Order: sequence, then C-alpha cells, then structure tokens
Amino acid sequence: MRAKQAERVLVSGNEAAGEAALRAGCTFYAGYPITPQNRLTAYMAEHLPRRDGTFVQAESEVAAINMLYGASAGGARCMTSSSSPGISLKQEGISYLAGSELPAVIINVQRGGPGLGNIAPAQSDYFQATRGGGHGDYRTPVLAPATVQEFADLTYLAFDLADRYRNPVMVLSDGMIGQMMEAVAFDHLGPPAPPPKPWALTGEPGRKRNVIKSFQPVVEDMVEFHKRFLEKYARIEREEVRFELTGPQEAEVLLVAYGTSARVCRQVAERMAGDLPFGVALFRPITLWPFPAAALAHVAQGTRGILVVEMSAGQLVEDVRLAVEGACRVELLPSPGGAVPQAAEVAAKLRYLFGSQERKGTP
Amino acid sequence: MATTSLKKLSDMPELLTGGHAACPGCGGPIIIRQVLLAAQQDGRKVVASISTGCMEVSTTIYPDSAWRVPIFHSAFENSAATISGAEAAYRSLKRQGKYEGEIAFIAFGGDGGTYDIGFQSLSGALERGHNFTYVCYDNEAYMNTGIQRSGATPKGAWTTTAPDGTVEPGKREIKKDLTAIVAAHGVPYCAQASPHRPRDLMRKVQKAVATEGPCFLNILSPCPRGWRHDPDVTIQLCKLAADTCVWPLYEIENGKLSINYKPKEKKPVREWLKSQQRFRHLFAPKNEHLIEEIQAELDAKWGQLLAREAFDNEQEQESE
Repeated sequence: MRAKQAERVLVSGNEAAGEAALRAGCTFYAGYPITPQNRLTAYMAEHLPRRDGTFVQAESEVAAINMLYGASAGGARCMTSSSSPGISLKQEGISYLAGSELPAVIINVQRGGPGLGNIAPAQSDYFQATRGGGHGDYRTPVLAPATVQEFADLTYLAFDLADRYRNPVMVLSDGMIGQMMEAVAFDHLGPPAPPPKPWALTGEPGRKRNVIKSFQPVVEDMVEFHKRFLEKYARIEREEVRFELTGPQEAEVLLVAYGTSARVCRQVAERMAGDLPFGVALFRPITLWPFPAAALAHVAQGTRGILVVEMSAGQLVEDVRLAVEGACRVELLPSPGGAVPQAAEVAAKLRYLFGSQERKGTP
Repeated sequence: MATTSLKKLSDMPELLTGGHAACPGCGGPIIIRQVLLAAQQDGRKVVASISTGCMEVSTTIYPDSAWRVPIFHSAFENSAATISGAEAAYRSLKRQGKYEGEIAFIAFGGDGGTYDIGFQSLSGALERGHNFTYVCYDNEAYMNTGIQRSGATPKGAWTTTAPDGTVEPGKREIKKDLTAIVAAHGVPYCAQASPHRPRDLMRKVQKAVATEGPCFLNILSPCPRGWRHDPDVTIQLCKLAADTCVWPLYEIENGKLSINYKPKEKKPVREWLKSQQRFRHLFAPKNEHLIEEIQAELDAKWGQLLAREAFDNEQEQESE
C-alpha cells in the first residue's frame, strides 16, 4: 500500500530546483561555477546525463547563456543558473533571448552586491530582474520562491511559462533558499508537457524555413516587433500574476515581502500577532514581474499602512508605492549587504511606526 | 643584482604575510611568496592584480590584507585587463615625468580565471604588449567554488561537475596547453615552473619582470581539497609532477625553448595518478585503459618538447 501523503525528501533548494527542472523535461543545462548556487550545477552534472540530457560546464557565464540561445532555438527545454555577479554577465544573452523570443529558464540564487559583494543571501537584484536587466525594451517573468518546495514548484512552472510565452523566465531565489534544506515533494511535478514548437530550428526538410532573430534593421519592422512584444507582455500581466496573503482578514497593517524576507515576515504575521497592538497580514508577491499591483492596491485599502521588508536598500518598495499610488503610508525596513532581517526587528519597526499615530521618523 | 640565493632571500621582506586563510598545504601562497620575493629585487616595487579565486578570497578578507604590495581585484575575468590599465597609467605618468621608480606589474589568476573566463583579457593584454607578468597558479579546477572542472583539469580527474560513475570516468577532455597558447602570441618570455624548485621559479620571475613586454608564468599549485591528498605532501607532489613529466619545467625565451629539468628516470604516470584521490576511480578495471591513454599522451607531449628544444638548439647553432 502506498502512503497517502506524497513522499517527501530532505534536499537543499539548489538540488530541489535541479530535480524540478529534470521533471519539467529540461534536456539541456549550461552553467558556470559561482557560490552559492554550485550544488545546483553539480546536481545537473550528476543527474542530467542519466536522464539522457546534456550537461555543459561552460568557460564563462556569457558562454553558458549563449549555449541556451542555441539549445532553445533548437527546441530544447533548457536552463542555466548562477548568482548575482554571474547573472550580470548573462544580461546580454538574456536580452537576445527575449529579443528572439526564445524560451529559457534562468535561476538566480542571489548574493550580496554590488561588485564581488559577498556570498550571503540578498535580494539586491530586484531591479535587474524585474526591469529586464539587459539592454532594450523587454520583460522577463520573475518567480520568487519563499520555501524549498516552492523553489521546486516555481522552477517547474518556469519551463511552462517560458514555452507558453516564448520568453526567458527567471526564478529569483537567494543564498538562503538555495542552500537551506527542507522536506520537498516532487511527485506532483510531471510528466512534462512541452507544447509543440513549430518555430524551432530543427533542420526538418520540406517545411517552410524558420527564422529566429532579434535583428530588425528596418525601423518599421522593429516597431511591429515591439507591438507584438507589448501584446505578449500585457497578456502575461493579465494571466500570470501570483501572490499570497496570510494573516487576519481585517489587518490594520500590511507587511510586503518576498522570498527569504517573506519567511521572516510570515513569522511576525503568524506567531507574533498576539504581541502587537494591531493586526498584521503579509502580502507576498510570488511573481515580481508581473507585479501583483492591483491585488496589493485592493488589500491595502483600509489599512493604516504598509511596511516593506526587503534584503536590499529599497527596490521592491518602489513597486509597492507604484501599486498603492499614495492610497496609504508605505514604509521600508531595508536590509542590504547580505544581512537577513530578524522577526523581532520587524516587530519593533512595526510597533514604532504604527504603535501610536503621532510618532514620526525612524527608530 | 637579482639573486636566488636562499641565504640572501631569507633577509628580504616577505610581501605576502602569514595569517591569511588559505587551506593547510595549499600551493597558492607558497607560489605567491616566491614570486614576490623574486620580483622585488633590483629595487623594483610590485603592483599586483588578482582575479576572483582562492588566493583573492583567502588573502583579502576585508578589512585585512595579507599583501604588502598594492593589489587590485576587479572581477573574475579581468585580472589581465586591470593590470593593463594600471600599467598604461604608469607609462603615462612616466612620460609626463611624474613618476620615476621601476614597477613590476604582476597579474595573478587561478586556472579558472586564466585558462577559461579570463583568457580573453589575458590574450588581449598579451597582444597589446603591456609590460607585465602574468602568473597563473594552476590547481587544475575551480577550487574556490567547490571543485568544478576547468580547462586546466586533466583528463580522468574527478570534479563535482565531471563526476565519475558507472559510465563517466571523470573529466573526458584533455588539459588545455595554455603555456603553448600563450607562446603562440609571440610573447618575449613564458615559462612553466613549480614551487618545489624555488630557485628555478624565482629565476624565471626575475627574468619575466626584467623583460620588456608581456611575460607569462604557469605554475603548478597542488590543492589538498580538490586533488584529495594530505596537506603535507604538496611539495613532494610537485616533484612527482616534474618526474613523471606531467608538469614539465621549461621556458620559451624569444621563441627558443629550453627544458629546465629532465628527470634521469621518467616515472610512470601511474605513480602520479595513485598519489591523489581525484584519480582513484581510474584504477577500476573499466577505466584502466585510460591510464594507458594518459601515459601515451604525456609521452607524446614530452617527446614534442624534447624535439622542439633540439630543433631550437640546431637553429641557434646554424644562425651563429
């Protein structure tokens, strides 16, 4: 007899993402070493060839992302992973993938920056991820997991989204989610169902020739190209918004956070609620682009204010301000440089900001 | 005058201090100390750059630095580009009469930062002809990030991204011959060295820093973590690498190749492979044939070196 509960295994986030990619039918992975995502590369090196896939360790991040350009054009489900400085190097390739409408999955296990920074978990690549980090007018859906299970689930989803929209998709994790171990179920992932790719460069004889390119030297052609992009991006904004709301229905104050900082905030909203003189709920964007702006604006109505908690100097907070359009107070608890905020710190900030109506300034 | 006398060198200041965070038995700091001891002679100052890697991470943990010379770190792929900029600025200052001293510009990089991602900037700097010395400490994999294969990883070695198993025998591809690739740029001086022969290594450093133009030193750097050996055999392993001709010591000066060490009795590569756990799986029956292949490839390489040396000697005699 099989147990009713799905079998769960204790794995790190990096390994969970790797396994999810394999279950999503990823047949090509190219990577390059960088901490804190190396376990993912090692996992793919060990397991991808066993499932008839191809693993390549490239000579640089630039090479790895351009290998995806080739693999994706050939119709393969493909992935690369890196961490912040390496993702910077990949931006040119991501721009080309977006411009050529090629599906690919890019995993960023973020670390502290700028420059070499450090290898501590961080969320400082928010702008780069959500604004299209390379050159040109493009967007990439960005999925932000807050648990190891979700890292697996969203990696799996990323392959579907990438194929559905013919667009690169980024999973924005961090050194905490990447390296921590949690019990993860994989049984619900798969079997993969990639859509047919009649546009792919398969070398098939007899059919109309396929052309994949981002180069549009005639301005009118490029304008047409962009019209199509805009329609696609609008469709993604309509159909792919994901978020989670936890805590009491009638919360007076709203926490907004994603990924690791959302884990900290969830602790505040769920376990420390009794210690606070007002109800606190957590709004957690799961898609950072498309940002759940309408949902957030709706939830924010009637609250006294929002506290944004992010492991960066103030990036997510801009999207929150754009979403609520001045309808309520938006405050920030920044935690840049690789520091993870503590629940007590968040609670203290909440108490200071919203404990009484009169007080102003920062603690 | 430059010296490689150990007695005299022992009185010179160490430009890489102790107290850094490199692993016990790491070849890297031994190499850097020897390089800096040699480079500072004849009143030269040293300006260094280093690419991301073990030596950068372990010697420059903020706010400390083990370096007693100015040192730059930029990104993984940019050690040679960074030193190019510094050297160009120095030339400009000299031209303007704003600086008079002699500076040896030395770029350091591991094999990942040199053979692979940093190769573009290295090749560019060599081609432009900056007056600098590039020192690669070659530990044959990306050790800093947890032992991933590099272009310098030898055939058959286990790494986390070239694992061995029932099908795979570790890395399948041969090691890139970077010293030969650098030589093909037509640089005035390049050499392979090893820290078990410090006088040879330091003589080569002195030669490189005294030579006008881009020079390159490729230095074998054992890694107990990645090669899977005890930390106390680092220097013995270097000697074994030379005795098996896995790491031949030679130099190419203005196109003329000289071999600096010829083992009286060339040891079989089997001894080298046995000395490190990263090659352990090669001794399984299904992989034994690889050992023969590796031996044959090494023999061919060594034969080519001997032939090239003989050819260069003949050419020299003819021209005289």
